[in-house]
This record gives sequence, C-alpha cells and structure tokens, in this order.
Amino acid sequence: MEMRPSRRDFLHVGFCGGIGLTLADYFALKAKADIKKYESKEGTAKSVIFIYLPGGAAHQETWDPKPYAPIEYRGPMNSIQTNVSGVFLNEMLPKTAQIANKLTICRSMTHGEAAHERGTHNMFTGYRPSPALQFPSMGSVVSHEFGPRKNLPPYVCIPGQPNEFAGTGYLSSSFAPFSLGSDPAAGGFTVRDLKLPGGVDDTRFTRRRTILDTVNDHFTKKEKSDSLDAVDTFYQRAYGLVSSVDAREAFNIDAEPSPIRDAYGRNTAGQRMLMARRLVESGVRFVTLTYGGWDMHDNINGSIRSQVPAFDQAYSQLITDLDGRGLLKDTLVCIASEFGRTPKINATAGRDHWPKVFSVVFAGGGMKPGIVYGSSNSTASEPEEDALNVEDWATTLYHCLGINADKELMAPGDRPIEICDGGKVRKELLA
Amino acid sequence: MRFPKTLSGLATFLLAGGLAASSVIAQEPVPVSIAVYPPNAQINTIRDRQSIVVQATYADGITRDVTKAATFAFANPAFVKFENHTMYPVADGKTELKVDFGGKSVVVPVEVAQATADRTISFKLDVMPVFMKAGCNTGSCHGAARGKDGFRLSLFGFDPDGDHYRLTREIPGRRINLALPAESLMVEKSTGVVPHTGGKRYEPNSELNQTLIRWLEAGAPNDQGEVPKVLAVELYPPNAVLDGEGSTQQITVRAKYSDGTDRDVTSLAFFMTNNDTSAAVSQQGLVTAGKRGEAFLMARYETHTVGSHFITLPKGFQYNAPQLPENNYVDHLVNEKLKRLRINPSELCTDEEFVRRAFLDIVGVLPTVEEYTKFMSNADPKKRDALVDELLGRKEFVEMWVMKWAELLQIRTNQQITTKPMLRYYEWLQERVAKNMPMDQMVRELLSAKGGTFANAATNYYQIERDTLKTSENVAQVFMGMRIQCAQCHNHPFDRWTMDDYYSFAAFFSQIGRKQGEDPREIIIFNAGGGEVAHPVGGRQMKPKLLGGAVPDVAGKDRREVMATWLASKENPYFAKNLANIVWSHFFGQGIIDQVDDVRVSNPPSNAELLDELGKKFTEYNYDFKKLVRDICTSRIYQLSTKTNETNALDDRNFSHATLRRIRSEVLLDCITLTTQTKDKFGGLPLGSRAVQIADGNTSTYFLTTFGRATRDSVCSCEVKMEPNLSQALHLLNGDTVNSKLQQGGLIDLRLKEGKTPPQIIEEMYLRTLTRKPTEKELAALNGVLVNEKDPKPVLEDVFWSLLNSREFVFNH
Repeated sequence: MEMRPSRRDFLHVGFCGGIGLTLADYFALKAKADIKKYESKEGTAKSVIFIYLPGGAAHQETWDPKPYAPIEYRGPMNSIQTNVSGVFLNEMLPKTAQIANKLTICRSMTHGEAAHERGTHNMFTGYRPSPALQFPSMGSVVSHEFGPRKNLPPYVCIPGQPNEFAGTGYLSSSFAPFSLGSDPAAGGFTVRDLKLPGGVDDTRFTRRRTILDTVNDHFTKKEKSDSLDAVDTFYQRAYGLVSSVDAREAFNIDAEPSPIRDAYGRNTAGQRMLMARRLVESGVRFVTLTYGGWDMHDNINGSIRSQVPAFDQAYSQLITDLDGRGLLKDTLVCIASEFGRTPKINATAGRDHWPKVFSVVFAGGGMKPGIVYGSSNSTASEPEEDALNVEDWATTLYHCLGINADKELMAPGDRPIEICDGGKVRKELLA
Repeated sequence: MRFPKTLSGLATFLLAGGLAASSVIAQEPVPVSIAVYPPNAQINTIRDRQSIVVQATYADGITRDVTKAATFAFANPAFVKFENHTMYPVADGKTELKVDFGGKSVVVPVEVAQATADRTISFKLDVMPVFMKAGCNTGSCHGAARGKDGFRLSLFGFDPDGDHYRLTREIPGRRINLALPAESLMVEKSTGVVPHTGGKRYEPNSELNQTLIRWLEAGAPNDQGEVPKVLAVELYPPNAVLDGEGSTQQITVRAKYSDGTDRDVTSLAFFMTNNDTSAAVSQQGLVTAGKRGEAFLMARYETHTVGSHFITLPKGFQYNAPQLPENNYVDHLVNEKLKRLRINPSELCTDEEFVRRAFLDIVGVLPTVEEYTKFMSNADPKKRDALVDELLGRKEFVEMWVMKWAELLQIRTNQQITTKPMLRYYEWLQERVAKNMPMDQMVRELLSAKGGTFANAATNYYQIERDTLKTSENVAQVFMGMRIQCAQCHNHPFDRWTMDDYYSFAAFFSQIGRKQGEDPREIIIFNAGGGEVAHPVGGRQMKPKLLGGAVPDVAGKDRREVMATWLASKENPYFAKNLANIVWSHFFGQGIIDQVDDVRVSNPPSNAELLDELGKKFTEYNYDFKKLVRDICTSRIYQLSTKTNETNALDDRNFSHATLRRIRSEVLLDCITLTTQTKDKFGGLPLGSRAVQIADGNTSTYFLTTFGRATRDSVCSCEVKMEPNLSQALHLLNGDTVNSKLQQGGLIDLRLKEGKTPPQIIEEMYLRTLTRKPTEKELAALNGVLVNEKDPKPVLEDVFWSLLNSREFVFNH
C-alpha cells in the first residue's frame, strides 16, 4: 500500500455531518495544512529489534548493579567487570559483558507509572496512558511512516502481539503488526499459510486473483469503510508475501545452519532473537519480541539465575552476529521493560515495582557504542545524572529511524497528535 | 456578545459552496423562547453569589447566549447587587428577577439570606476544590501515587484528611507559614513566586489564591465533625445548538449541598469537552464553537461530573427536515436526533441486502438458496417483519445469544473449573435462554446462586472469579456496563464513583463461602454470613451500598440476594438500559453508549432518548429480549442502506446509515462451512456442530483465534476482536479452511455431474455466499475466463474460492 491518507483521517469522532463533501473536505484539508508535517526518511537505523522484557526487569540484577551498596539494596547477587573499563553488569551476564563495548547502556530511565499496563503503555507508545485516546505503538508508527519493504510486513511480533499497546491505537488497523502465531523455539515451527496450497500453482493463483478482483469490484465500488480498506491492504501484503520467495524464506528458521541455531540457544530467547535477525536482514522494519517473565516479587536470586543465562547467550550472539554480517550499523537493537524494581530487597527476597529509575539498552543503528549514559544514585532508587524520560527515549529512537517525532498524525476527530509529545533527541546517545 | 453580523458568516458560506446566499439573515431574528439559568437563585452569606445565563432558542433550533443583550429588572432591587450578570447579596429577603429579550420574558425567584454574615472557611468545602481546579491533584502532578517532587495530594481529592495532614504536618514548617500566610511555600509555588515544576497555577490576587490565604490566616484548620456533602451539581444550559465557528455560550455551574444550601461554583469547576474541535471550553466556562459536530461539555466539581450536550452547525445552515416514514419508536427517536443534527438518513436497503443482514445478525447463518428465493418472490409488503419473526423462532437465534452470554459469564475451563462443571454451567445458561426466561430472573438466579457447582451450575459464576473485588467489578461491568476498577485506588477520574462506592459495593460479595463437595471436582458455594470489606484509607468497615443506590438492610440476609434483587430490577436505573445497549450493539456494530461496557458520565450515549426508551420497553416487556430484538430489527433504521447521502456521509455515531461490519469469527467459520457443505469437528462436540455452539472459551481453532474469537479470559467487550490483519488474509488465501473445504464439499463436482451449466453453478455459488445473483458484468467477465479452459471444474472452484475470499463475503452490509 502506498502512503495515501487513511479514510479515518477524514472521519470525526462523534459526528460530523456534511453539508456536502465540499465543506468536510475543506476542513479536513485545512486541518491537514495546520498540522506539523515532516518527511520521514530512513535514518541511521534501517530496522529495529525491540526486545521487551515483560513484568519489569530489575535494573539492579541486570544492567545497573550496585556492588558497593548495603546488602539490602545490593541484593544477593554479584557483579562482573565488562570489556568497558569501570562498567559492571550482573554476574549472570558474562557473555554480554564481553560485547559491552558495542552497547549503549542507559541507567537513568525514569517515569511515574508503577502499574504493569501503564508502564507497558509508556514503553510501547512513548506516551502516558490517556482515557480519551488509544496511542499507536512505535512499530505501528514505523509501519505508517514507511510501509512494507521487500514485500515483507513492516512490523512483526514474535511470537505474537505481546499486549494491547503494541497495536495500532488511533491509526488504521492496516498498520497492525503481523504475528508469527507460534514460537520459533517450538519444534516443527512454521509460519502458517505463506505457501500456496497443494494443487495451486502460480498460474492458477494468478487466475484466482483475477477472478477475485472481478468479484470484489462490485462491492468495493459500492462501499466505503476503514475496515474494508484495511482488508484490501492486507490482501495486497499477502500477495506480496506469497509471490516473493525471498520474503517467505525470511520466516523459514530451519534455513539457518544448525551451529547458528545452537549458538543462539535452542530456547525462546535464542530462537526468537535469531528469527528477529532473519527478519530484519530480509527487510522487516520493526520486530518486537518478548522474552521471559520479569515480575520478580519473590526470590529474585533464583529467578534471575534461571532466566538470564539464555538471554545472555542469545543477546550477545545476536549483537555479534549482526555485527559480523555488517548489519549492526543499520539495525537498532533496543531492550526495554515497563519499569525497574524497588531499591530494597523485600520480605519475600524479591523486589517490587519501581518506575523511578531503571535501565534501557541500545545497540547499533547509529547509537554511540561502549558508553553508559546517565546514572542512578548509590541505591539505584533515583536518577542521578541525565535522567532519561519516556518522551526523550522514544524521540531519540524515532530520530535514529529517520522519523521526526514532532510530526503530527491525524487521530479521530481530526485531532492532530504528535508522534511523541515534547520529546528531545538526546544527542549524547548518538554516534 | 453582539449578534454575528452577516459578513463574518460569509466566508463560511462561500466555502460551503452552493448554499443559497438568500439564507443570510438580514435582521436580528426573533427567538421562539428564552431560558434563564439557573431557574432560581438562593444566595446565602456574603461569600455567595449567583451568575445568570440567558439562552434564546430560535425557530430553526439554533440557540444563542443572549445574556449580554438581555435586560434585567428586580421586582425589589434592595436585596441584590447585580454586576456582570451576577447577583451579590445586599440584604435578606425574597424578590424576583425579570429577564427580557426579543419580546420574551422569564421570571426567576431570588432569595437572599444571611446577606451580611460571612461563613467560616472549610478545608473540605473551600480549599479542596482549589486543588482540583488548579490541577494540583491530577495524576500527572501531586495526585500521582507517589506525589510529585516530594509532595503528594490524593488523586482528585479522594482523601481530604490525608491531604490536610500532608499540607500541615508532613515536614512541619515547610509547606505552610501561619505567621506569614502569603509566604507559605504552597502559596509561593502555586503563584510562581518561587520555581515550581508545575509552573504558575494562578495569580496572587485570584479567588483561588485568596481562598488558600484565608484558610491559612484562619490557622489552616481541618473541618470539625461532618460537613455538608455535595448532593448534586447542575450544569447550565443543559444543551445548546451553536451557529457557526466562533459562536460562544457561557456555562454556569451550581452545587447543591446536603444542608439545603447551594453555591455558584462556576469558578471552581473543572471544565472538559470530549470534542474540542467542535466545542472548546475555557476554564472560565466559556464554550466556543468550532467545526460542525457534536460535543459533550463536562464540569467536574468534587466527585461529581455533569455534562451538557452541544451541537455546532455551520453558520446560517439551512435545512428542511424531510418527512420520513417511521415503523416504530426506534425510527422516531433516531430521526429526531438526526433532525437536530440536520442529517437525513439513508434509503432502505434492498431485499437482497436485508435478507442477508437479518440472517447473519439474528441467526448467524446465511440464507440458503431456497430461503433466499422464498423471500425474494414473496410479494407481501410486510415480508420483512415476517422474516424477522420467523428467524426469532429458530434455534440458531438461541445459540447466538447463548454464545454472547457465555462471553459475559466467561464460561470456560480453568484451574478451578473442570470440563464437567463448565458444561453444566453452559447447559444452565442454554436452558434459560432457550425457554426465553426473563433476563431479570436469570440474572437474579445467577448472582444469588447457592449450592454445588454441579447441582446448581449457576454457582460457577463465583468459581470462575474468586476474588471479592474482581467479582464486584465484573458484576458492575457486565450487568451495569460500568468499569469501576479505577475507584479501587482513587475516586474515578471520569465518573462519579468514589472509593466509598467501590468498597461498599464490593461488600455484597464479601460473604461468599466455598467448601469442597463430595465429588472432588465439585465446590459448594454458600452464604458464609461473615466477612467484611475495609476501606484502604482509614480501614473503615464498609456497609454494603448499591452502586448509585441505597444502603439496604442486610442484617441476617444473604447479601448477594439483596444485591441481585436490586440489580436486576427497575429500581436499578442501569440494568435494563445496559442490556438493551448490548442487544443494540449486536445489530449495529456499536452501542448507543460505546463501548457497551464503558458507561460513564464522560462517555455519554449518542442518543440518550433512544437508550432510555429501549430500556423502558425492555422493562415493560418483562425483560423479554426477543421482543426488543423484534423492535430493533423491524425498525426502518435497522433496514437502512450502507449507501450514504451528502448529509450523512460522515456520520458514524447516529445510525443514519448502515455500516459495514466484519462477520465475527464463529459466524464466519460457520458460513464457510455451510456454504461449502462441509462439517467441522470441535473439541467436545459432535461432528457437524457449529462454531457458535462451542461451550468452552478455551476451545478454539486457528481460524477462530485468528479471526478474533473471545478467550473469555475477561468480561471486557474488547475480547471479541473484529480488526482485520495479515494472518486472516493469508489464511483465507492459502490456509486449510477455504481450500480444504472446497475439496471436501465437492459441490462443484456434484453440480457438474447433475448436469448444471457453468452459469447456473456460478449463480448458485453467488447466492450461497453473497446472497445475490451475479451481475451481467460479472457473468461476462467470468465467462471470459471459462471459455479459454477445457475443463470448467477448476475455474468454477476458483470462482467459489474467490467468493469466499471476497470482501463482500466477510462483511455484513
């Protein structure tokens, strides 16, 4: 689909009757002329791999250990030196520690939402939740701004759309993510329905499409609706996918040599990240994947020990692999979670929700490698330097993608809404 | 405000294009009526006052704020000083204010008492509203759960005592300075004298600031004992029709207290609009019209949110309402609203469209070729009504609504509920819907259910959700359409519900006892007779109180029975309307309040009169929803075409035309299965069952999940997903549903063997899938493909495949 404006752009919330389309069009156009417009052009990050750790990953037990804090803050785990001098990570991240010189670790992320769904909303949309408006996810915005590349869906979720905020919000449902539908780590994994069914060759498929166009013609000339347009869009995308061997092959994880699959790890972390690499390599613009459950209210020591090693292996392999293929400079790999966890270990040896400070990590795609940006205070309870808010974080991410986040998109009711409201690009993060 | 001069409107006219210039009004029109708000005034103490708004209504329905143009005269001017259209007390006594405009006059009774007395400052009544008005206690500022910059206020003021403590006692000496009140930090921060992250909130000499200083001068007291409660807030005018961009209307807001007094709180209310492109509102209560459209203007004061309905029309818009035939009250009420909006509804849909629409909506299957032919050849002008009646008698109608109720009751297996009780529960529901049990009776049985989860399967309602608070939230959401979750932690920001309301309602569910039955899979639900709900702020034990209702006597009774008796009755103003709205939404793709489970002051119905009437009828019908469905489906409004005219093309809320609705997943699969003459096998059901009949929310197929079947994991109406996506397109194109069923059904093969010609077969496939015959153009194009092939079978199969993949097939239109 081309970037023609969605019909929704012209629709109003509540009601707006026309005294003929003349006036309605005039208003819509006027509103369009008034909105802040910027051309989106591919930036330093041609693709994004968004690794989301649902539940709220403890910053202390991952990217921001406090080895010198009192034990109740430090927690039961140790930290290790990375290949960047003076930078320490949790002891369960030894492989990641060896690629730290390729990472951009931000230890001063902060927002005010301590409920899972609200924090998640922040980190998927760049906005605080609003009762009046559903905001689009960053993946859907990228889909809206750039559209598909090489016949592949612009926005893919592995294994599926992780939460309601990863969707299209007020944008048309044509910008929705494509969900793989099953887990690449599962045995016999395939993405369904990519290949023509048995007995239907390309010639016959072409005939089917011709007949389908004939049948659709009558209805699509008669009817107008957003969801009708969206169905059309998805059929066009499906045709692109079906007719392109390269596009279909992107989803075929079995095409990866066994040693590579082993190197990533034969588990959900490894195979999802490997799948993400295949997808961005083939042309997908925005891949969202989730790993694990990080809501560690109890026994954080045990949970980290069981969950982090697979992540460590997969993530370090992903960065190394992307780098080896020359893709890291064009691919922005982001790690985020809805919030961090409380400074003190609680009564059940876990940590509770803590949005006041936590860590996010970037790699590649135009970010400055080998730095730690911002810091939390000595007990990891508040940002100490360069507090990074959600708006600036998202705006910087959009900037790398070549999207000016000050651009306004049209929400229902002809309401122009900034992609991200009031954020600034943190130049210090950029290479 | 002067009347808009013709020139200022001219630009809009020219843009409107083609509108007669003769509609330009040459002289000031004469109103048909004027209204003065508030309709009476009661001024108590020197602190009180009352602002007046005069609204004129014209023959074309337009209203104007004529407050500044009207003349005012007091029968006895000794009691009141009148400045800026506001009355201030002078001396005690009663008089009348006569308001004249455009030859019309209205008399407003005025009463002044304690004219020279002051009233003592109250923290709750005077100071707390300042924090709301100035935005101090919103969620993004000090109302955040952890406050802001070290200072916290309760969100929207749900905890005044806590706020008093934090202002006066927390970090003693920091926030208030009783020696020099004007130099208190809370004053200097909010007036911008010292740096404040939230900026300057108001001027030092503003009324808001003066109130704070007066309170500080009085020693920053908290209120002793009970203070009067706000019983109601009135927002005037109750509606307005504005004439073009730039027209304005002032709002006045009055709060009524439990001690019988009232106050003009216009300057203290927080104003909001749900559509600021059509009607924007300033924090002084001045509404300014924008683009054509509807808006709901709201004022929040204390825990009350009240609203007023505004319409903005293009300036000088000329409109002649057409005479429209009306089948019943539905048509009348929708048309009345459309007239106010100057919209004409679409024409009636064709018989072909109607028969498909009615079958899909009422029974969830497509008409067979025979059913189609029978209907089309019927010459009876009442045949549409007859078809609705016939469909309402079919078992598929029952199955459709059992499925919809099963979603609301979350019928599914989970850790507590094994297959057996789940099936029993489903059968319980099915039995009741099948015998058309009045809905109030069914809901009462459900909510007061006692006994074993096998023996009385309705008790499974309390097994699916075992948490007290969650249960009461679910009951409010499903049976009253309200999401009260917000009020668990703070007063609802967009509705009237307070934490008190929330925990008092939850107290009805605090005495549910559960014990093991003889069969290890069976649990017995009983009235434990004990167990209370405590308010998280202060730990008060909450007496059970009906949402928006009374505090019933529950002593010695089963609390759930008391609640259920009220909930499913006409005493509960939400019950009938909510169910009527759910039924409506099934047939129109959106509720009159939308989403149907998001009833709140700030989400008003698109047509309140219609919703009221549907609720009233439903009650009169003794909660027989079949009768309600009949009213809806036999109305003209339900039978409108999707084709729009120039007045209603952009209307998407007022039912002035039919809208395309994607067919929901279960029905879509059943349609594919039936038209291909194949059979499905779902877990726990015999071969050949329909997807609509699946009892368990946990049973699904790739097709059903991809097309958005509800998991029944929550009661949210958002569980059923109708959005298209790429997986759906891929599945219909390449997947095993359409392709395998084409083969399994072997319909084309069969017809060819029967000796049918390709055009005959094509016509049948069109009728089976799209409920219409192919057009000449379509036939010609398809014949063009057929002539080049020796074997017609694969081509005909491809036609069938295309029909099942077509937009027309997957949408109800």
